[in-house]
Amino acid sequence: MILQAQEINKFFKDPERHQVLHKVSLEVKKGELLSIYGESGSGKSTLLYILSTLDTDFKGSLHIKDQDIKTLSPLALTDFRNQYIGFVYQFHYLLPEFNVLQNIMLPAMKFAQKSNEEIKHDALLLLEDVGMKEFAKRPSYKLSGGQQQRVAIARALINDPALIIADEPTGNLDQKNTDIVFDLLKEITEEKGKTVVIATHNSKIYKNSHRTLEMIDGSMRL
Amino acid sequence: MSKSIFNKTNVFIALQYLSARKKQSFLATLGVMLGVTTFIVMINFMTGVNDFLDDAVFNGSPDIIIKPEQKTTSAKKTFGTRILSLKNIEELDIFLRNQENIQAFAHQVISPAILVSDTQQLPGSINGVFPSEENLMVEIERRLIQGKGFQSLDNENAIVLGVSLAKRLQVSVGDELKMILPNGKSRQLQVAGIFSFGITTIDNVRTYFSAKTLQKLLGQDNAVTAVHIKLKDRDNVDIKTRISQNFKDTIVEDWKDSNKTIVIGNKVRDILTWSVSFALLLVAGFGIYNILNITVIQKRKDIAVLKTIGYSSKDIVFIFLIQSMIIGLIGAFFGVVLGYVLSYMISITPLDTSDFIIVDTYPINFKVIYYLLGFSFGLLTTILAGYFPSKKASKVDPVTIIRGI
Repeated sequence: MILQAQEINKFFKDPERHQVLHKVSLEVKKGELLSIYGESGSGKSTLLYILSTLDTDFKGSLHIKDQDIKTLSPLALTDFRNQYIGFVYQFHYLLPEFNVLQNIMLPAMKFAQKSNEEIKHDALLLLEDVGMKEFAKRPSYKLSGGQQQRVAIARALINDPALIIADEPTGNLDQKNTDIVFDLLKEITEEKGKTVVIATHNSKIYKNSHRTLEMIDGSMRL
Repeated sequence: MSKSIFNKTNVFIALQYLSARKKQSFLATLGVMLGVTTFIVMINFMTGVNDFLDDAVFNGSPDIIIKPEQKTTSAKKTFGTRILSLKNIEELDIFLRNQENIQAFAHQVISPAILVSDTQQLPGSINGVFPSEENLMVEIERRLIQGKGFQSLDNENAIVLGVSLAKRLQVSVGDELKMILPNGKSRQLQVAGIFSFGITTIDNVRTYFSAKTLQKLLGQDNAVTAVHIKLKDRDNVDIKTRISQNFKDTIVEDWKDSNKTIVIGNKVRDILTWSVSFALLLVAGFGIYNILNITVIQKRKDIAVLKTIGYSSKDIVFIFLIQSMIIGLIGAFFGVVLGYVLSYMISITPLDTSDFIIVDTYPINFKVIYYLLGFSFGLLTTILAGYFPSKKASKVDPVTIIRGI
């Protein structure tokens, strides 16, 4: 089991106390492509921030790779995220000061387990996987949305993480690019044995996932 | 896994951000450079002037002067003919010899006199000194322009005088001069040396003559009109009160009394130097603070992304701090270089003065410590200016930013 979440409750305190997640529990197996489906406002993004360890202000328990997230200090959590979790956002968020290759290399340079030459080699392989090798030296802001999202997927994979979390990865893309990005994510699970959790409201995606969960008003529909 | 935040990756990211804003980074660097340059030029110049004045004035005049007190009643009697002498001079000598803080002291015999050259006739005063004593007080050799110093005074007819006075009398070394004393006696003298302290008030009036000969001419064989004292520690003038307590009928003046304007001038220059330099560095610091602050606001998304991909708050602080440190290092380095170049150029600029100081070029002090100080100030300002925006950047909460679109 890669991920175990038990009875997660989440409250927003601003502007008034309001419960956004009600006793959400889920488990994710290794090599699984799980999609969480829900309307906007259903709490799926909030859940994803918790699962990706960005948000630790919640009630309940979360284990990733058998590590209790709540026992980690902020610094240890940063390192944990760096090593085990790859993140893909709706708005790809590449850093405009860096070129495509450098964007992919940044998480691995922080991890610092390999030399920059090795990291560069890995990054080029990943770029080839997502079909973007010829753009390696291009400034990241000179790419189209679909291209940027493919680069973001490569960036999420650079540290060979146990878990990849994607928050509406196709929310901003046309149908063609949606297909490309989803096929990539599926390929990652089926060929590389990665575990991927996607939040989406695209029916095509959740219908083609290994397993789908639906969220309504902050609760998991059983 | 926890590594030093001072690593290649963080430096690389910082450099990337700096080079993405070349123009702003350049302007910020320029600001630091100008601050450091101004600091160095000002402090070199101001302390140069201070040191020059200190050296000229304090070497040319004693730290403490003991004079007889001129009583109004006795003034009538002595006017014109007899010079006023210190009493109990032997006791005073013994007292002074036993003082810790005294490096040397010298007896002076000073009398008004009229100096007459072939073309000019000037009223002035003649300063009789004992060469062996006076040698310990004034480094005359360093000040000589022409001729010889105190050793020439072994010759009874030799006179050594200041350059401006010589100019006014239109004499040079070897020329004849006539001295007329208040009691009517006169003597033919020969100019043996001409000196310059660089200060008009000295060079315009100071003369050196044999004290023994002067005493004989005045008919007052043991008269001493003043005692000059050189102190080991010039700032400690406690001895002043002890002398006036032990010896009545004396006036004791220290260098601060005699050189009030110079002491105050030095203080004013010090204050000016430090406040102007501080203000300039402050402005440069604000420039950096502004640039980084704006960057942090503009780059909140990027900071959030860096945090989600594994960069800690400490990494973020460092990434931003290193940017201001790079600006500071480069700015301070070029500031020091430019400061030196400008100071050098000022130091070779001819200076045309006639009134108070006589120098050929501007006095500049090239002490290494000021360059180190300027460099450290520049760097310190930028680090301080960079710290607060960096801290702000590290507090960016990735969830809020990513959710907030």
